[in-house]
Amino acid sequence: MAALLEVKGLEVRYGGIEAVRGLDFSVDEGTIVTMIGANGAGKSSTLLALSGIVKPRSGSISLGGREIAGLRPDRIVGLGLVQVPEGRAILSPLSVAENLELGAWTRKDKAAVAADLERVYALFPRLAERSKQVAGSLSGGEQQMLAIGRAMLAAPRILLLDEPSMGLAPLLVASIFTTIKEIAKSGTTVLLVEQNARQALKIADKGLVLSHGKLILAGSGAELLENKVVLEAFLGKEGG
Amino acid sequence: MSSSNAAAEASKEAGGKGRLKTASTIASIVFLVLIVLGDIWVWIRNPDDLDRLLINLLLGLSAFATLHLRLLSLASAGFAAIGAYASAIFLVKLGMPIWLSMPAAASLSALIALVIGLPVLRLKDVYLAVATLGFGEIVRVAIILLPDLTGGSTGANLSTGFPYEAMKQTRAWILALVLIGFAWIFSATSRTRTGRALRAIRENADAAATMGIDVVGHRLASFAASAFLAGLAGAFYAHSVGSLDAGDFKFSRAVDVLTYAVLGGSGVWFGPLLGAGFLTALPILLRDSLSFLKDFAQLPNIVNGLALMLAIIFMPGGFTSVFEGALGRRIEAGKSGVKLPRRKRWHSAPVPADGIGEASGGRKTEGPILSLVEVSRHFGGVEALSKVGFDLAEGSILGLIGPNGAGKTTLINAITGVIPPSSGRIVFDGRDMAGLAPHRIARAGIARTYQNIQLFGEMSVIENVVVGRHIHIDTLLPEAWLSLPGQRREESHARKEAHALLARLGLDELAYARASTLSYGDQRRVEIARALAMLTPENGDSQKSAGPRLLLLDEPAAGMNETETEKLGDFIATLKTHGYSVLVVEHHMDLIMKICDRIVVLDFGRKIAEGLPEEVSRNPAVLEAYLGGE
Repeated sequence: MAALLEVKGLEVRYGGIEAVRGLDFSVDEGTIVTMIGANGAGKSSTLLALSGIVKPRSGSISLGGREIAGLRPDRIVGLGLVQVPEGRAILSPLSVAENLELGAWTRKDKAAVAADLERVYALFPRLAERSKQVAGSLSGGEQQMLAIGRAMLAAPRILLLDEPSMGLAPLLVASIFTTIKEIAKSGTTVLLVEQNARQALKIADKGLVLSHGKLILAGSGAELLENKVVLEAFLGKEGG
Repeated sequence: MSSSNAAAEASKEAGGKGRLKTASTIASIVFLVLIVLGDIWVWIRNPDDLDRLLINLLLGLSAFATLHLRLLSLASAGFAAIGAYASAIFLVKLGMPIWLSMPAAASLSALIALVIGLPVLRLKDVYLAVATLGFGEIVRVAIILLPDLTGGSTGANLSTGFPYEAMKQTRAWILALVLIGFAWIFSATSRTRTGRALRAIRENADAAATMGIDVVGHRLASFAASAFLAGLAGAFYAHSVGSLDAGDFKFSRAVDVLTYAVLGGSGVWFGPLLGAGFLTALPILLRDSLSFLKDFAQLPNIVNGLALMLAIIFMPGGFTSVFEGALGRRIEAGKSGVKLPRRKRWHSAPVPADGIGEASGGRKTEGPILSLVEVSRHFGGVEALSKVGFDLAEGSILGLIGPNGAGKTTLINAITGVIPPSSGRIVFDGRDMAGLAPHRIARAGIARTYQNIQLFGEMSVIENVVVGRHIHIDTLLPEAWLSLPGQRREESHARKEAHALLARLGLDELAYARASTLSYGDQRRVEIARALAMLTPENGDSQKSAGPRLLLLDEPAAGMNETETEKLGDFIATLKTHGYSVLVVEHHMDLIMKICDRIVVLDFGRKIAEGLPEEVSRNPAVLEAYLGGE
């Protein structure tokens, strides 16, 4: 399996604050990689740098062998890296269907877009039921589905998810993780940032632990779930 | 990473940051000095232009008073016209002395602002601009249509005998003194609770109201202050020109005045002064220096327009934006004199055990602290809340759970008055709160946090928390203007309390960071600190015994991991032991089950269950709607 995304020496700064300080990691095609870390560890900053919303200070980001660091966000989406932002960022006055159509903005192959729309509606029947409704009237969980669905319509090679389970009721949290697994199974690579470390590591092929903008641990999801540091810092358990 | 390594890196980082800040500070100070030098040049070379410059500076302050609150008002020309004509009428027809006629005319402007402000200030943005534009035109037309009173467009019978015009030598000094006096008032106000409240309203009016700040009152007062200054400027203008002309108060003049504040920056009081200084001096300097180009008479105007465009493109936040961040925060950090320790991570920070101040004790009634009786809220045909009722016992923690869209946040909005209930009673400490303004409900002792974070994003973390102390600081504005020691003591006391709260939440190292730069979970903790700052009673002030205190937390643990969530749970539990009553909305069931005394479950706007945690967690309806079958 080849690495679809390869990040080397990534640094991100806001003003004087160093959010990411030299990060190396890779994501293999067709896998789920989960990134965890305390608040302010640099997870969201990493995702923003990957999707081009924040310009990295230094480092290289290669997507399928092509360097994308510093490209404009719309170019990066066109190349197949699509982020679902934290806090959902759906367009509330537009209908559910219009929000989804916007996800396909950069694509010209109408037939394939229609097929992907069917796929999203199959994944989230609730969105199909409410396709004509204004997006702002959806509940929190439905908005999260819409945000993920919209990202799917950009036909991503790799999908970046920033805390998809945040603010969701327990029933929905379980279903969101099931959905992520299905997305990966259908061939889309997933990079997942989560505070719900337990569930997120359970579905992950690989886990990364960030602290103060650096990678401090990496391993399979199952390994990390047993790791003393992870248990103490993220799962609320006294280690050993 | 070892800690010494980290410290070295931190200092290196601070050094680089320092250089960057110094460079931008120097650049902006050079620019600022250039503006001032240009204005002095005008002063020396063109005494005739000096009045114009000073009057425009006064108008700049007037524009600041409204635009600072993001009120897009174009009424300044109208208020200036009222000031000009009224002062002339007072002087000539009523025989008032000139030193009285001018402030009296400005007061009339302010009075009219209070009357039209009540309906007009409900409007926002461009709608407010159009409404105030209409007001300005009405004033101008009224002047022309009432020749008996105003002497018509040119104020025919009023333009005689302006003693002020004759005072050529001293009048600029009088005007300069007046200007310095008002600049002092603006600068002193910005350092008080009022200045902070205004900044909070500017950042987020809804959140400011739930901190007990009277948003409507502050907007109205600022609008009246703006009208007073515009009226005074108008009076000075008429008297220094020595004649009246309604054509001087066209709406294009109001646009000029607005431009002063937009170009200079409306975040700090001296921004519009710089804008007014720049926009007044530049055309005069261009006119003088390019006068040899007789064939290109329009060239100064073109250069002027170009300079305006370039300035706004390179400094979109106004002249002051360049050093607001760099200089402002350094001043604040220096002033506090607090050594900031290296940041403690939340999970290593100690659970606070003391110093929060005892709540309750001052209650007048028995029974539950909060009683909801058949509270309903409709949005159009949708019933977001339907006859919800429950009690919250004093000193207890009530969990509110339910699926997304069940109406939990709507209920918190109803209790805090942000979205009043359609029907039903919300009884807090024996008093029905339903339908009261948010700031009144806040002052009764109810504080909240938000599901969608509502911090004052451009303000520092510490300033956010000090806003929470607003209702506990009772400095009067004149005390601040005179810089009395009592006011300064109260400010530094509030600041100390805010620091203590931040320390308790493990945020002390971030005290001087801009709130919007914090991560999600940290922002949530700042919101909790801000809400607690509002609820915490005065230390050692026996006269104000603590009343009832209710804290409403809307998904406080969203964006936190399990360890951070557990720590937060411990913290909320300690609040109970200090007499606070808490209502918490959360999806982290571990947290809810651990800290709540009772739980209420909502689904589709209705209460479907209520009881002890163990009862609710076994309730079949709750399992089906929310928890999922195990």
